Amino acid sequence: MIDGVLFTVFALTAVGFALTMVFRRNPVHCALSLVAVLLSLSGMFILLNAQFIAVIQIVVYAGAIMVLFLFVVMLLNVKGETPLLTPGAAKGFGFLFALVAFVELLWIALSSVGEGAGRGTAPPVGPTFGSPAEIGRILYTTWVFPFEVTSILLLIAVIGAVVLAKRKFS
Amino acid sequence: MDTAFLIESAAKVACVLGFILVGVMLTVWAERKLIGHFQDRIGPERVGPFGILQSFADMLKLLLKEDVIPSQADKIVYFIAPALSVITGLVALSVIPFGDSVTLFGRTIPLRIADVSVALLFILGTTSLGVYGIVLGGWASNSKYPLLGGLRSSAQMISYELAQGISLVGVILMTGSLSLVEIVRQQEHLWFVVPQFFAFAIYVISGIAETNRAPFDLPEAETELVAGFHTEYSSMKWAFYFLAEYTNMFVVSAVAISVFLGGGHGPFLPPFVWFLIKLGAFLFFYIWLRATFPRLRYDQLMGFGWKVLLPASLLNLAITATVVALKG
Repeated sequence: MIDGVLFTVFALTAVGFALTMVFRRNPVHCALSLVAVLLSLSGMFILLNAQFIAVIQIVVYAGAIMVLFLFVVMLLNVKGETPLLTPGAAKGFGFLFALVAFVELLWIALSSVGEGAGRGTAPPVGPTFGSPAEIGRILYTTWVFPFEVTSILLLIAVIGAVVLAKRKFS
Repeated sequence: MDTAFLIESAAKVACVLGFILVGVMLTVWAERKLIGHFQDRIGPERVGPFGILQSFADMLKLLLKEDVIPSQADKIVYFIAPALSVITGLVALSVIPFGDSVTLFGRTIPLRIADVSVALLFILGTTSLGVYGIVLGGWASNSKYPLLGGLRSSAQMISYELAQGISLVGVILMTGSLSLVEIVRQQEHLWFVVPQFFAFAIYVISGIAETNRAPFDLPEAETELVAGFHTEYSSMKWAFYFLAEYTNMFVVSAVAISVFLGGGHGPFLPPFVWFLIKLGAFLFFYIWLRATFPRLRYDQLMGFGWKVLLPASLLNLAITATVVALKG
């Protein structure tokens, strides 16, 4: 029962703040709404028994990446958004992206219908599911290749940032 | 998830909240009194015996003061920012084990709000969110000094967060657990301050920087920045920032005690009393530092964080990892 209540609360806050993120003109308000969305999602991860992912979501996205976003927005001191496209073009692109996203979601929903009789219920999970030890184990065994590729990608990004910054100041 | 559990949790939350509010007021009084004596003055002595009610009087004054909002401020964010600061501090306290457990009304009640399997990460997460309160407060005031102060303190907090987090990883490697309860349990015979002394030193230094306390109180460098991010705040909103600073001091101390100083372990006295004694000692250390050291210059502060503390914590981590791996 209480899970249902909490899920409703998190879902409503996530959707509500996602809407304010899109509709607010002030970029700082948009960034803050996104932080609120991320926090609600982290609450949902906890309901799904994935505490580690939930906390990492807060530490990495809400605590680090969004702070940098906010820094940039604040330092640029943007007063309200200046439209990038003409209203007609913006509407056209918006419609196109919404259509793609809708088709994608529909496709996922339809393709998962046929999977076995246990439709609508998650497969049972072990007692260690979502624990840091379990995530670490599968990250370094089953998914070690994508994991290493990601780390190299991040390393390239770091080096790129240093190179760009150096060029500007020397 | 029965009703008794909900009532128990609510009661514990209320207790911790009350403990913190009273504790903060007492700490503020103790700080003024101690700093007074450090500087060969008497400190507050008029309100109540030894001036102990001074903080209560100050709080009443702050509650009744006029709340001034700058006319060009971003009203919503200006309101949210101080609350965010306090909330992130208080939420972190929910995973601190204050002691063992007590038996009340036939129920065994552990002296903590929650035993979370990822408690340490949770605390790092809440401290990383604490930056928002400060940076937003500075921005929302729409004024030069608060913005500069806010940027400064958030840069400081982000820089020292890294060393702080990495210094804790050594202990995590040794215990194989992120749960504070488990970490405290494993310190029954040996406090981790002994094998992890460098990590402890790094944690304490970066903890002081993280809470923006002297000698790292750059955000409040009066001579350059008026009062930093809270220049435009008055009345109860200002008091919230004040409360947040002291709550964060409690959090940093409580984590240091749980991770390095054996939590509630100690001879003769019950765990909760030991925890309080260690907490008091830690807060005294904070105040002692403030009375002893002059403030650092900003470039010294950033240089120290990135060039000394971070490499030192990484080195400590590498050595610990090697030793743990060799031991098997």
